[in-house]
Amino acid sequence: MDSTQSAESPSPAATPVRRSFFAAALAVVIGGVVFLAPLASGLIVLLDPLRRKPKPKLVRVTPLDALADDGLPHVFQIVVERDDAWNQYPPEPVGAVYLIRKPGEKEVTAFTATCPHLGCFIGYTQGSTEFVCPCHSAKYLLDGQRVGGDASVAPRGMDTLPVEIKADKETPDALEVYVLFERFQTGKHEKIPVA
Amino acid sequence: MNSLLTWFEDRTGARKLLHEALYERIPGGARWRYVWGSTLVLAFVTQAITGIFLWMAYSPSTQTAWESVYYIQYEMQGGWLLRGIHHFMAQAMVVLLAIHLMQVVIDGAYRAPREINFWIGLLLALIVLGLSLTGYLLPWDQKGYWATNVATNLSAFSPAGTGEPLQKIAVGGADYGHHTLTRFFAMHAGVLPAALVGLLVVHVALFRKHGIHATKPDAKPATTFWPDQVLRDAVACLAVLAVVLGLVVWKGAELGAPADPASPYSAARPEWYFLFLFQFLKYFTGSTEAIGAIYAPGLVMAVLFLMPIIGRWKLGHRFNILFLCVLLLGAGLLTWQALDDDYYAQWHEYEEDKYPEGSDERKAYDAKFEASRTYLAAVEAAHEEAERVVELASSPSKIPPTGAVTLLRGDAKLRGPRLFTKHCGSCHNYQHTRGDDASRDIVNEAPSAPNLFGFGGRDWVAGLLDPERIISRHNFGYQSYAEDGTPRESPLLGGQMVGFVNDTIRDADVADVAEIQQEVAQVVAALSAQAALPAQEELDAKDQAAITAGLEIIRGNEGSLSCIDCHKFGDDGDLGMAPDLTGYASRRWIIDFVRDPAHNRFYGDAESDHDPPNDRMPAFGQQFDDKTLGLIADWLRGDWYEPEADEAEE
Repeated sequence: MDSTQSAESPSPAATPVRRSFFAAALAVVIGGVVFLAPLASGLIVLLDPLRRKPKPKLVRVTPLDALADDGLPHVFQIVVERDDAWNQYPPEPVGAVYLIRKPGEKEVTAFTATCPHLGCFIGYTQGSTEFVCPCHSAKYLLDGQRVGGDASVAPRGMDTLPVEIKADKETPDALEVYVLFERFQTGKHEKIPVA
Repeated sequence: MNSLLTWFEDRTGARKLLHEALYERIPGGARWRYVWGSTLVLAFVTQAITGIFLWMAYSPSTQTAWESVYYIQYEMQGGWLLRGIHHFMAQAMVVLLAIHLMQVVIDGAYRAPREINFWIGLLLALIVLGLSLTGYLLPWDQKGYWATNVATNLSAFSPAGTGEPLQKIAVGGADYGHHTLTRFFAMHAGVLPAALVGLLVVHVALFRKHGIHATKPDAKPATTFWPDQVLRDAVACLAVLAVVLGLVVWKGAELGAPADPASPYSAARPEWYFLFLFQFLKYFTGSTEAIGAIYAPGLVMAVLFLMPIIGRWKLGHRFNILFLCVLLLGAGLLTWQALDDDYYAQWHEYEEDKYPEGSDERKAYDAKFEASRTYLAAVEAAHEEAERVVELASSPSKIPPTGAVTLLRGDAKLRGPRLFTKHCGSCHNYQHTRGDDASRDIVNEAPSAPNLFGFGGRDWVAGLLDPERIISRHNFGYQSYAEDGTPRESPLLGGQMVGFVNDTIRDADVADVAEIQQEVAQVVAALSAQAALPAQEELDAKDQAAITAGLEIIRGNEGSLSCIDCHKFGDDGDLGMAPDLTGYASRRWIIDFVRDPAHNRFYGDAESDHDPPNDRMPAFGQQFDDKTLGLIADWLRGDWYEPEADEAEE
């Protein structure tokens, strides 16, 4: 068959179709495998963050006595050991919470300072009746509800965090405020933890 | 659909381009020997793909380079595979380059009109070697660090005073540091690949322009690149990939311990394909070193570049082939020699009577064995360090921000034995006396101080309260020496403690023996509990009653042993006669003791009332800070991180 071909001007059409198709298909498959293997190994590594779930941490924030029971928000830093890929850092600030304690009450409400709109740090001016996010002016009442309800740019009210009031191990009389610190997805109507 | 394709074709000419690429004419038909160029393209594309993904996880700084590579290799899913492919494909690329070059030269494919393409090919080869050299440093492990250090130091041999500035520019300063990594990384991931892509495009374009250099154009009818040659190329690429994947699974990409400029690394060697250069350099010493490092390789490159011109003559072409064969054979021989030098002690049996004692041959033979043993020991130590640092980095406390090298420097398990051997082992023995676990022994055949194996543990303390054991060579019966070096009996042997043990325990009334033995056991439990040894944690918790009883005996409130008659213990007893037993063998106690054994709190100096005073032990506080002393203390106490123990706790 080959002998009928012209050595000077080979044309794909002159090659037997079945053999040519088989060779072409095999070339495509093998070629695909050869280039996809490194690509796949890279993609697997790239997707590694998807399997890492952050865990909420119970963090000691302040002695209860140091939190004024004036019903107003007071900002506190969240100081914890921070894991970042291969590193673990000694305790350092990783975020902030607003704590509110009503007059004469032991109970404490904690709001994360992260805006549920797009994650900016919500501001509060001492004595004001509202929280204001500096990025897109989302406003929240002191109970965390959005000012203006659904007309607000924020998709939901400020996110509360679970609070525990526990005695200090060494000085059992001194009560400490602990907050279960975690992050929530922004831009959603529901409060969904980042996982 | 068709109209869309036509629209696209009108604007890009893509189909025509593809057609031209695929239907290139191959005179003499598709052949297996044409596959090498394509395998090199595959190798490069693989490196580019895997390299970009590695880039997404790599962090070039002295505190993060090793750490990020560790994270890729051991923590990220599939990281070992990705890095493995990149690591071994780089090596495959060097082999493929050699084959490609050999084929081009043997076939005379460098001849007119392909000279320029040959030169571009040589430049590409140099770039690939540059990529290898720069890539070797990036993990910032001991191997890469020290090998690249040698390579950059070689640039100091550059002529006309350009060496030092060149070196500084390459290294980013006088010393290796952050900027060495940022520069090498920029070269490795930016400059060199860009140059390679640029030249590769020209290389392939020129190859297309001149057509394939068919060695037997009339052997078979001509065919086209697609699909027959493509299939052969694809199969060859698959084979290369299979070999690389095989190596990844079989060997895995190695990651040594993190680079430590303060830690000697006798196992430093360049990557295997540069070993011939490493060996070659051994033959040039002193002022001739520049010849081996710069001029000889330069001359070889010059001949390679001149090949198309030399090859114009028939004899010239033969010379080229011969030159290349000699070059590759020489490189192979040098590589083998380098390996044989390194593994000599492993590959050859030492023959005592091979050469007469004292002869030059014997000296050279012994030196060769010694050098090889040193290398092999360094390789083993390097593996041990690499394994240990990975264990530590994988611990729940991860890697501190100061980098993984801090983990190694602060690891008692690794550094303890080395410190002990160097600074304690010339007098002290460290040898198990019971059971079979000899794995940790650091044996001193002629000890001149107590055996410190299990120091502070119950068995060790019991040895001091046993009339037979206390006078053995493992405790107070060691061989001592006077200041002038003459042997003498251990002063502890005639000291008060031995007398006390003899009087109170050995010579106890028969009726009191059982009672005394019980008291001894309680004192042993109580005193040993002062150490709070990790290995005894459960035992101490279980025997609280015995420990409490023992404490009362030590304080002289119960029984007849009353340690505080000579020793201080907590608020009881006084210093000045015998070592303080408060917190005996605890970390703090050991650090304080080793810092100054002649301190009044311990054995006191010759002028003190201690009986006996400190016997020759130097004050190590003059040599070491508390951190280093802490490593000794932790090691003696068996206090270090072990992964199994931690996992069990979880």
